Amino acid sequence: MPIHKKQIIEKESAVVDGIELGPDWNRMFEQRVLTNYDMSGLDKVTSVEGAESMGWCYQCTQCIPVCPVNQAGGEYGPRKIFRELQQGMDLFTNDDLWKCTTCMNCLRVCPKSVDMIKIMPAIREEAVLEANVPAELQEAFENTFEYGNPLGESQRKRADWIKDAGVEVPIMKEKKEVDYLWFVECYPAYHGRGQETSQAMARILTKLNVDFGILGTEEKCSCDSQRLAGEVGLFEEFAEHNIATFDKYKFKKIMTTDPHALNAMKKKYPDLGGDYDVEHYTTMLAPMMDQLDLKNDLNIKVTFHDPCYLGRHNGEYMAPRNIIEALPGVELIEMGRCKEQSYCCGGGGGGMWLDGFMSDHVNERLSENRVREAVETGADVLVVVCPYEISRFEDAVKSTGNEGKLLVKDIAELIDEAMA
Amino acid sequence: MANENIIIIGGGPAGLEAARGIADLGYKAILVEKRDRLGGTPDEAQYAALTPDLRNAKEAMDEMRDAVIDNPGVELMMNTTVTGTEGVVGDFKVKAVQNGNPIEIEGGAVILATGFQHFDPGRETQKYGYYEHDDVITLVDAEKMFTADNFVRPSNGEKPKSVAFIQCVGSRDRQIGNEYCSKVCCGMSSKQAIEVRHHCPDAKIYIFYIDMRMYGYWENEIYWPAQEEHKVNYIKGMATEIIKKGDHLIVKGEDTTLRRPMEVPMDMVILAVGMEPSEGTKEMADVFGVNKNKYGFIDTIGGPLNTVSTNVEGVFAAGACTGPADLEDSVSAAGSAVMKAVGVIRKAGVPA
Repeated sequence: MPIHKKQIIEKESAVVDGIELGPDWNRMFEQRVLTNYDMSGLDKVTSVEGAESMGWCYQCTQCIPVCPVNQAGGEYGPRKIFRELQQGMDLFTNDDLWKCTTCMNCLRVCPKSVDMIKIMPAIREEAVLEANVPAELQEAFENTFEYGNPLGESQRKRADWIKDAGVEVPIMKEKKEVDYLWFVECYPAYHGRGQETSQAMARILTKLNVDFGILGTEEKCSCDSQRLAGEVGLFEEFAEHNIATFDKYKFKKIMTTDPHALNAMKKKYPDLGGDYDVEHYTTMLAPMMDQLDLKNDLNIKVTFHDPCYLGRHNGEYMAPRNIIEALPGVELIEMGRCKEQSYCCGGGGGGMWLDGFMSDHVNERLSENRVREAVETGADVLVVVCPYEISRFEDAVKSTGNEGKLLVKDIAELIDEAMA
Repeated sequence: MANENIIIIGGGPAGLEAARGIADLGYKAILVEKRDRLGGTPDEAQYAALTPDLRNAKEAMDEMRDAVIDNPGVELMMNTTVTGTEGVVGDFKVKAVQNGNPIEIEGGAVILATGFQHFDPGRETQKYGYYEHDDVITLVDAEKMFTADNFVRPSNGEKPKSVAFIQCVGSRDRQIGNEYCSKVCCGMSSKQAIEVRHHCPDAKIYIFYIDMRMYGYWENEIYWPAQEEHKVNYIKGMATEIIKKGDHLIVKGEDTTLRRPMEVPMDMVILAVGMEPSEGTKEMADVFGVNKNKYGFIDTIGGPLNTVSTNVEGVFAAGACTGPADLEDSVSAAGSAVMKAVGVIRKAGVPA
């Protein structure tokens, strides 16, 4: 496919030599010959703190084949952005600014350390300040600001899921002191499938006699994805709220059901005064599996999707696999793109709230690309450990016509099913 | 008994290093130089700063010169051109002309260090218009400008707002007959791009290249800083030709990663000319009966494990007379040649 297609330029009206010409008469082709390298686009990006490394690309091209957006037909990737910037592209107002899911696969392979995980939030922050944000993302920002979560659900209902958990879920406001403070996060608290995961998780913790509690209505979104999508101010405000709330209680560890929250608390909260021992629920559960006395043989084949923010961003690949291995009657078939090379569900870095926007730029959703790979393995179940994924992949199973061939389940649901 | 003097022909970096080394080992070096100055091409072409460390070239050459001038182990023969030779290893009688007078120099071994010359971009091909356009210059011309601390457009004396380097001029070219890579030009261009940045802080600087060959530490010492700190733009695709349009030069080429033709106006173009054997190298090879390769450089016979021995016993070659070489290569080869030259005269001196 040619990179550069001849573009037809038509102006509604153009005056040539004093004669007004309508669109049919002023139609012309965009010039194909490059006549200028306008470095202002690149200079503008590299002058932003955090985005300096955009100028370091030496076009080795290694980022392109691993960029999930490019693999979904997006004609995208850091190398390409760099070249466009060398021709005067204004990234601050260009759609390319919003395509990156911050999956970190490019940085993993980049020999020059061109760091899109820093570049994208830095430039997006400027765009946010200028109000140049895709409408659907703006809506998620506004929902978060107004309701404390990007789904726009009521803060009062944040702990409603516990009613159907079948076990008691302690609230920190009453319990005050626990071993594990469970940071549930928005999708596990509000989204239908997320709630089912949370309820399963509550039953597992109860079975394990873990001393735990949740913040309930005091919990607010970690906003890590909003931060990566450019809403740094919102992130900091919410982080301060959550840190102040944590500091009211006593706990040994924070456990979270969202790798994005894990990422924020490990990497960003310490700078804001909240230095906690925080772990992902799979990291917590993996060494406890032998205490669960799992009796139900599940008799299924599964495949596993490594979330970007648990795997590449935080280096945990084995905990979920150790859990899967401990489940009776479960056979794991790995997808080709797994562990460090894992594909991206498309939800990170704001992608969760940009599906409409992205549909104009890719041939298939990233989640559809991934689901096709999962189906190819012949697995019955695609196991996930990130709350963004369950809804994204379930939608993709339907949209790719694979309904009935593949189920999407959180790892906690499988543990729950295997418990007697 | 063998004559224990070692004759070095050529007073550039390789010859100077060889002379110093021979004296350090307690032998006598006779350094023959046809010019009236030592320092070789870095001196003659008025290099401003060395690659890769940007060290002041004059200061560095002075240091090399100081090591041989007034050194009791080194006899300097300036303004001396070698014209012939007789004898064999252990007993060479070299004929020369010194200030117009024929002389004979005796020594047990010879080190040829006659160096290279810069490719002349107008001789074989005019596609870059070096002799037509004032603002098309070479790396060598740019060095002189940096040395004079006056980097401006030759056409109007003003500081350029845009400068393009074109790589591989005179190298890697079957039509020209130089199929080899000249090895140093990528580094020199990147080094000069940094110097251009110092002279013209706001200029746009481009390097049009086929492959950037920044081997070893040149990668991190020059290439990366040029791009990351000094905002030099590397564009893959060697420009094909230059045409004049008004006050500007239009550089025509293809931007390969965009797969689009480009015709970009520039204030100045610097041709990254490569290396060819100097006339002295070709002449001395003939005088000593040393084999040349198809390009006219001296053919060494030991492959990668012996870069200084030639087909004539007792005659060694060091530096850019054996092929494209940077300063690191040249002085390293000089050391190697000294070791081998001392070795043969010691062996020749042992009674049978």
